[in-house]
Amino acid sequence: MKRSTRRRLRHGSLYVLLLAVVLVLGFTLDWSSVQQTFFNTEGLKHNWHDLVVTGVKNTVIYTAIAFAAGLVLAVVLALMKLSEVGIYRWLATVYIEFFRGLPALVTILAMGFGFPIAFGWRPPGGTLGAGLIGLVLVAGAYMAETIRAGIQAVPKGQTEASRSLGMSSGKTMTWIVLPQAFRIIVPPLTNEMVLLIKDTSLLAFIGATVGSRELTNVARDMMTSGASAGTATSLTMAGVLYLVITLPLTRLVAWMEKKQRRAR
Amino acid sequence: MSALSTEQPAAGVPAIQVSDLHKYFGDNEVLKGIDFHVDNGEVVCVIGPSGSGKSTLLRCVNLLEAPTSGRILVEGIDVTDPETDVDEVRARIGMVFQQFNLFPHMTVLKNLCIAQQKVLKRGKAEAVEVARANLAKVGLADREGAYPAHLSGGQQQRVAIARALSMNPDMMLFDEPTSALDPELVGDVLAIMKDLAAEGMTMMVVTHEMGFAREVGDKLVFMDGGVIVEEGDPREVLGNPQHQRTQAFLSKVL
Repeated sequence: MKRSTRRRLRHGSLYVLLLAVVLVLGFTLDWSSVQQTFFNTEGLKHNWHDLVVTGVKNTVIYTAIAFAAGLVLAVVLALMKLSEVGIYRWLATVYIEFFRGLPALVTILAMGFGFPIAFGWRPPGGTLGAGLIGLVLVAGAYMAETIRAGIQAVPKGQTEASRSLGMSSGKTMTWIVLPQAFRIIVPPLTNEMVLLIKDTSLLAFIGATVGSRELTNVARDMMTSGASAGTATSLTMAGVLYLVITLPLTRLVAWMEKKQRRAR
Repeated sequence: MSALSTEQPAAGVPAIQVSDLHKYFGDNEVLKGIDFHVDNGEVVCVIGPSGSGKSTLLRCVNLLEAPTSGRILVEGIDVTDPETDVDEVRARIGMVFQQFNLFPHMTVLKNLCIAQQKVLKRGKAEAVEVARANLAKVGLADREGAYPAHLSGGQQQRVAIARALSMNPDMMLFDEPTSALDPELVGDVLAIMKDLAAEGMTMMVVTHEMGFAREVGDKLVFMDGGVIVEEGDPREVLGNPQHQRTQAFLSKVL
């Protein structure tokens, strides 16, 4: 058999397989049930705005808080990781490995329920605020590695030039290295933000007041109460809303990476 | 700041005094006991094959490399003494690198101002004034708003020299300042260095430009294998090298 014939056969069989799967699904699934469950717009008509006004708003707020606080924590961890003092390096490594090794949900639950008891202080937002602290701890661990890589990607000559001008190591870091490092890591940091947006959904496992629920929590409540109860359409809608936020960001990252590659 | 740093260097104290300097990279001994000095106002050129330790010697003077043992006095201050404020000493030593090392995220003007403001605590107006004067000196007054990426290599190196000069240093270190430049751009940079020398700037120059060493240098140092093989008047060393290793090296480069 000729090589081209064999390839045509292989392609043909893949199309046949796809057709078979579509046919089987088409005939065996109860499409009206699927539609009733996931795309039942009837009930959602009355309360979809809860998803946006409460859910999306809080998701964005929690992401912003976790990202900002996580970034500060991550810079500190990255500088510790690059420190000349061994104990700092060791502490940062242990921290990062610890929180990256745990499921984020475990940290969020542990902080949400444990923090106010263990430290005798209720952060603003109560259990949810404490859960958010857990998310910050996780975000910091992930972003620390990104920032460390960014700092190390700044050429050594930059530090040498700065130190030669009499700038201290702190001034060199602040004015010369970090500004350049952040330019390098804007794309990966944006990726971290996309992960963080999705991870805020883990806060749905933590008790929240009606007004402080994030998107997943609102959608889940709508499955069991209100006009769209009994269907999963609110979750479909939540999924669409997540994509509305995350897809532009991932496209932005791809665009920035392409631009950076060209600049090099 | 150490008490020493506020004292004026006594007359007759060399700008740079290096004694019994050893430097290891791991097990590799790069400098094997260097004794050498640069007097005030003197231009000392250091030549030698790659791997001879000449750049390492230069980088030890402002502690970009930490000496393994030995003493380095800059204007009489022991920079290897842990008590010495290295930043304060470095601010008085201008350094020019082979790869220019301009700050790419800042304009030319900002490159010249940042250390003036952050180290010397000059006000913005004063820093800008000093920066502009030095840019004019290197012939780039019209490029103060440009970013380094938009300058040629020769222009970048001239900005780097102006940046170092903006700190009003007592001496300048040059680490192969023209080695990364296209041949047609070398002349501009050398001309500026020559002007500096004529103004009486104390200079230590690691270079492959034998013409510059002969014409501008007060002293020539030939290094090989981590030791100073020969030093003296540039015309003497270049014209009539005494040591066989110097002869071998010069026969290849001249």
